Amino acid sequence: MAQQKPRYRRSLGDLSERALAFWLLLPAALLLGLVALYPVARLFYNSLFRRRLTDETGFNPVFIGLGNFTQALSDERFWTALWNTFLIVLVTVPGALVVGLLLALLANLPFRVRWPVRLGLLLPWALPLVFAGLIFRWFFDSQYGVVNDVLVRLGGERLLWVTTPELLFWAICITIIWKTSSFVALILLAGLQVIPKELYEAAAVDGASRWQSFWRITLPLLTPALLVAAIFRTITAFQTFDIPFAMQNGGSSFETLAMYVRTTSIENLNFGYGSALAVLMFLISLGVTLLYLRYIRGADD
Amino acid sequence: MKRLFWLLVAVLLASLGLAQQTRLRVFVGGQQRPDVMRKILDLYQQRNPGVRVEIEVGGATSDQQQQYLTTVLASRDPSIDVILIDIIRPAQYLASRWADTIDKYLPAASRQALLRQYLPAYSQANVINGQLVALPGFADAMFLYYRADLLEKYGFKPPTTWEEAIRQAQTILQRENNPVLNGIGFIGAPVEGTVCTFLLPIWASGSDVTNAQGQFTLTVEQAQRALQFWVDLMDQRVSPPNMAEKPQDTIRQEMQAGRWVFGTLFAYAWNRFQNDADSQVKGKIGVVPLPAFAGGRQASCLGGWQWVVSDFSRNKAQAHRLVRFLSSPEVSKILAIEASNLPVFPALYRDPDILRVNPWFAQALPVVQAARARPQHPRYSEISEVIRVTTNQVLARQKTPEQGAREIVNRLQAIYSGR
Repeated sequence: MAQQKPRYRRSLGDLSERALAFWLLLPAALLLGLVALYPVARLFYNSLFRRRLTDETGFNPVFIGLGNFTQALSDERFWTALWNTFLIVLVTVPGALVVGLLLALLANLPFRVRWPVRLGLLLPWALPLVFAGLIFRWFFDSQYGVVNDVLVRLGGERLLWVTTPELLFWAICITIIWKTSSFVALILLAGLQVIPKELYEAAAVDGASRWQSFWRITLPLLTPALLVAAIFRTITAFQTFDIPFAMQNGGSSFETLAMYVRTTSIENLNFGYGSALAVLMFLISLGVTLLYLRYIRGADD
Repeated sequence: MKRLFWLLVAVLLASLGLAQQTRLRVFVGGQQRPDVMRKILDLYQQRNPGVRVEIEVGGATSDQQQQYLTTVLASRDPSIDVILIDIIRPAQYLASRWADTIDKYLPAASRQALLRQYLPAYSQANVINGQLVALPGFADAMFLYYRADLLEKYGFKPPTTWEEAIRQAQTILQRENNPVLNGIGFIGAPVEGTVCTFLLPIWASGSDVTNAQGQFTLTVEQAQRALQFWVDLMDQRVSPPNMAEKPQDTIRQEMQAGRWVFGTLFAYAWNRFQNDADSQVKGKIGVVPLPAFAGGRQASCLGGWQWVVSDFSRNKAQAHRLVRFLSSPEVSKILAIEASNLPVFPALYRDPDILRVNPWFAQALPVVQAARARPQHPRYSEISEVIRVTTNQVLARQKTPEQGAREIVNRLQAIYSGR
């Protein structure tokens, strides 16, 4: 008697490959729909209503079409937050790429004991963003902070890092670069390790200096990894929230778009307008991502 | 076999007993002495064997707590039954329908009788649009703490006007010549307490944000004078230039380490100065009402914490019973003795047991009675944000007092007119 296959194998076996793929992907798709698509759709929906939890509209939202969006366009605070977010992207993305590249090159050197270098690389990456913000908030404290301590020892003056707008901006950027360059370094390190050693050996035979082989071999072959790192970094930079929030004690002298969204919805309970701001932020992130994707496709061709 | 049967019966009965127990969850902030609250709740459990009460401890500041609570309440989470909220929040809790109002469990007559027992400021703060939203747990107000040893050394009496306080601080700083000693400490970071900092000079000069009918009346000139007053303190070097970095508890910690001559702080500081193991100023601190301006009147900022029942609680009746206990004279007395929290019942300010631990409570009653309340408004969060962030920016010299005042008045006007 031929052994009967278990029931599940029989029914799965009967499926065509396409149908099998469908059933296997379904749970993941459902989950994604539940935790990503539904909330985003809901966000778009909410953004069309006047809805404040502090008055009747919290319970009976009033449809106002694109009213929240026109309000945002004439809202000075929105434009300031957007500008601040752009500044953060402009400074911290290239900053993290340069520092990350240096770190990756360092970690790729043939050390006998590699783990301290790699651990040093991983540590900032593994640290929660808020912690990084709080730690650097203390570093930059005017009275007790280590930064001012060093400045004073070098004969400088105490600076009010956290409460002077320009200094605060740079303090935030330094913290973000410190926190995110290790992520960039990890990606670049992986990129560095797939570059064949023979290329360098051949270059050395041809009499190329180390500097030349860096520019002619390392950098071009590292471009795909650099691009990937740049995309991820840009998207997260647009969402910058934790570090500036933690460094200002909950204040908002330097406010990014994500901070404004949070204050509007969570603190001021204005969910309609908060959703509209979040939608705008979403659209900007989407635009940037599409731009990059296009560039990558172009590079592939 | 028989033994097993009885064992099963016993387990069944025990679990039935457990199931009959009501579990309540109470939320208090980290600065509201959860250790003392636990003792009080243990007392309640002893008297009500059917009820178990858990404590959930939240963030240290009023803002941090509310950020978390907003998430919990906006998602209608039933896990928290009773919440200790700041005096500025009842209007928001009512508008957002987060509170199960106390009225439902109180006939009108006994409501009147109950409210008459409390200090009037607290019955007023908890009745919004005629509805009793919460019941007061303990009172609070801002006081002027001073280094009694230093004032005595230079022959000063505790100041009654700000001018006097500034002069005393200048003299002491000059003669002591101690680089870590500072003059007058006030809250300047972008936190809730900075709203009080902004309002104090306005109240002391007899004005307010709104009139008695709740209409917005603050003028740019009044706001500008208030901001200028604090900026002047830094210019006169009575306060250090980094006041914009300082939340309340930083001032308290620094004063505890002997770094301030004066500090404007809420009542909780006293207990810490006297009882904390690391306090450098035990027995050296005096406390008096906040000063007035010459020719003006003395004004303090009303604080205090209220017990509210969450509208999403599944045990509302039990939660209400607990709130009635927590807002009783008995608990107010325990809080006064163990945490130096100011009582919400006037009679307790003369209670000998309380005065033994907190001799200064004898003079505290008129301060609490005269203390002014911050604006009551469903959109208080926005009002607070406008005031504290702008005041902080002025203290950080990012804006002049005039720019700051214009901004505050314009934006508050928008909120009050419903925009």
